Amino acid sequence: MSAIANIKQEIKSYHPFIKTLMFLVTAGVLAAAARFVFGLGATTNLSDTYPWGLWISFDVVTSVPLAAGAFVLGAVVHCFHIKKLEPLVRPAVVTGFLGYSLVCIGLILDLGQPHRGWHVFAYPNLHSPMFEVALCVMSYTTVACLEFLPSVCEKFGFHVPLRLLRSIEVPLIVLGAAIATLHQSTIGTFFLIAADKLHNLWYNPLLPLLFWTSAVFTGFCIIIIEAVMVHRYLKQPDETELLATLTKIIPWFLGIYLIIKLCSLFFLSARPLFDRPGLTILFLMELVLGIIIPLIMFMTKRIRTDSSWQLRAASMVAFFGLVLNRFNVSMFGLIQKDQQIYYPSFLESVVTIGIIAAHILFFALIARYFPIFEHHPEEVDYTIPDHFHRIDKQTISEKAV
Amino acid sequence: MSATRDFSQDRTFLIDMTRCTGCRACQVACKQWNQMKAEKTVFFNGEGYQNPPAMSEYTLTKVKFRDYEKNGHNQFAFYKEMCMHCNEPACVSVCPVSAFIKTPEGPVVYDTKRCIGCRFCMVACPFGVPKYQWSKALPLVVKCTGCYSRLKAGLKPACAKACPSAISYGSRTDMIQEAKRRLAAKPDRYFNKIYGLEEAGGTSVLYLTEQPFDELGFKNVTRRPLPSLTWAALRFVPAVFLTMGGSLAFISWLTHRKDRLRKEEEARKSASTQPKEDK
Ligand code: SF4
Ligand code: SF4
Ligand code: SF4
Repeated sequence: MSAIANIKQEIKSYHPFIKTLMFLVTAGVLAAAARFVFGLGATTNLSDTYPWGLWISFDVVTSVPLAAGAFVLGAVVHCFHIKKLEPLVRPAVVTGFLGYSLVCIGLILDLGQPHRGWHVFAYPNLHSPMFEVALCVMSYTTVACLEFLPSVCEKFGFHVPLRLLRSIEVPLIVLGAAIATLHQSTIGTFFLIAADKLHNLWYNPLLPLLFWTSAVFTGFCIIIIEAVMVHRYLKQPDETELLATLTKIIPWFLGIYLIIKLCSLFFLSARPLFDRPGLTILFLMELVLGIIIPLIMFMTKRIRTDSSWQLRAASMVAFFGLVLNRFNVSMFGLIQKDQQIYYPSFLESVVTIGIIAAHILFFALIARYFPIFEHHPEEVDYTIPDHFHRIDKQTISEKAV
Repeated sequence: MSATRDFSQDRTFLIDMTRCTGCRACQVACKQWNQMKAEKTVFFNGEGYQNPPAMSEYTLTKVKFRDYEKNGHNQFAFYKEMCMHCNEPACVSVCPVSAFIKTPEGPVVYDTKRCIGCRFCMVACPFGVPKYQWSKALPLVVKCTGCYSRLKAGLKPACAKACPSAISYGSRTDMIQEAKRRLAAKPDRYFNKIYGLEEAGGTSVLYLTEQPFDELGFKNVTRRPLPSLTWAALRFVPAVFLTMGGSLAFISWLTHRKDRLRKEEEARKSASTQPKEDK
């Protein structure tokens, strides 16, 4: 009884913004329930002409790269050993874990026969990009969960699992980065089969490589956005200086991406390229607002080291460079000439908004209850534990206290 | 996706649209054999006189109508739309649960018990064939099966059987030969091309028409077998995984080793400067 009262008390103390998020999530859950009761045909605007809509374009194709922060930062911090970035890792891992869990939910909603999801393992088809992505997303969600668990263990003081998790930390991060490389690029492979459907502006054989590169720089940008937001709204320390390290890496990836994109556009794509004004505008917006302008911004030292400019440049990359690109490839670019146009139904949109709200809400709640910011790398020994050594040196008993 | 399979004996439809009268016996026979519900239709709801307007969850094959003018006369062209039973089908290659199967006899069939309903097959098929049961809460895909059950029983497909004039059915080699014979015999009657010979790497449905194919609404499809397009990227998966994992593992081993060595060095130094303090 008192537990429930406590929870009620706790919820009452939340900021109105959090309460709004809770409301949106509830609405999303109800809309998702409606989809299962009435069916995909009745609740969405999908049709035989548009078998894939908002849920695939946003909840799967776009969310996966948006959740890429965990794998990029994990690799940078632990593999290349740039330790000073350590304080950013845990929030990034939380975002990654939440992102992937929500991708799984989005996929399940979109499936016609969700209860048969396990068929992917029972009747695998190695030639299917979808098989590969399903496998990777599931394993990556598990890995991200394991990467997140240390904070849970710390919170409740479980020392033995904590030690265990810490000893597999680096292998996990390596594994995670390898898996992420695969599925980030394979989502691009999806669209290679649509040779006669996807417009030449986006269809080219390097699509998988482009998807991977853009996931990498988006991962960094999301970390920046998140760190600045968290500083502003959750009263966490200002990380501008640390972020300046990231803003030094980003222009490299943006530049490489730009070069691959232009080369593939001019040398590897079929013609005609600019025959449809609407698509040309979308393409130019993606290229100029999402890549070229932020690239110039990130190359300017003053902008690189200023918190609000960092935020602006990073959000442009994420929003125009990535989100628009993924929608162009998975939705707009697939629209054929003289075809009626797909737009998401009300329920589809409510579900997607609910999923986004859930992400922010869970992040805020986890930040409130788990030690993801109060994590001091100086006190933690990150060398790969050498067990025989340790027992001699009494470090275990020291740690266990 | 072995390129080694020989398609010459695959059961193949040769559909000669110059011999088609537009009677739609094939459309009706297909509906009857597959026990498909009738669709409520509206006259002139679509491109022409055709009904229903498009293939759907209830209609696996449909005769398209096109009217055009020739020598000042109004003429009709017809086009029977159905699954092309590609030699190397995109639908088979993309389905994550192998619900689509290219049978040794030629037809591409679909296993309702496996499908998870991801609709990738619909996105992948260059001819827009697989349709979805949008009316159901737990929908499945529907498409022409090439009447595989009839084939197994030694019968012709229902549509080929019902058609009075336009559909021939036999091995792929024979049908290609027959099509070429007709093109050569009456060059002015036909548009000089066999649709399906090379489209999407070749199909088990071949068309002959009088009009250019794109004017009849035939899709202009790449000649490459579609699965090869994704396979070109997918075959690198194990290599990418091992390279990425291997190099990251190596780099982290290196950096961590450097760290450990440095620490040990420091420990040794502090031990030598204050030798007695430890004990
Ligand atoms: S036409 Fe489409 S559905 Fe039929 S076999 Fe080819 S890819 Fe599959
Ligand atoms: S919808 Fe079904 S048949 Fe089509 S690709 Fe997905 S699982 Fe396979
Ligand atoms: S082969 Fe059978 S299922 Fe396919 S169109 Fe003909 S009658 Fe219909």
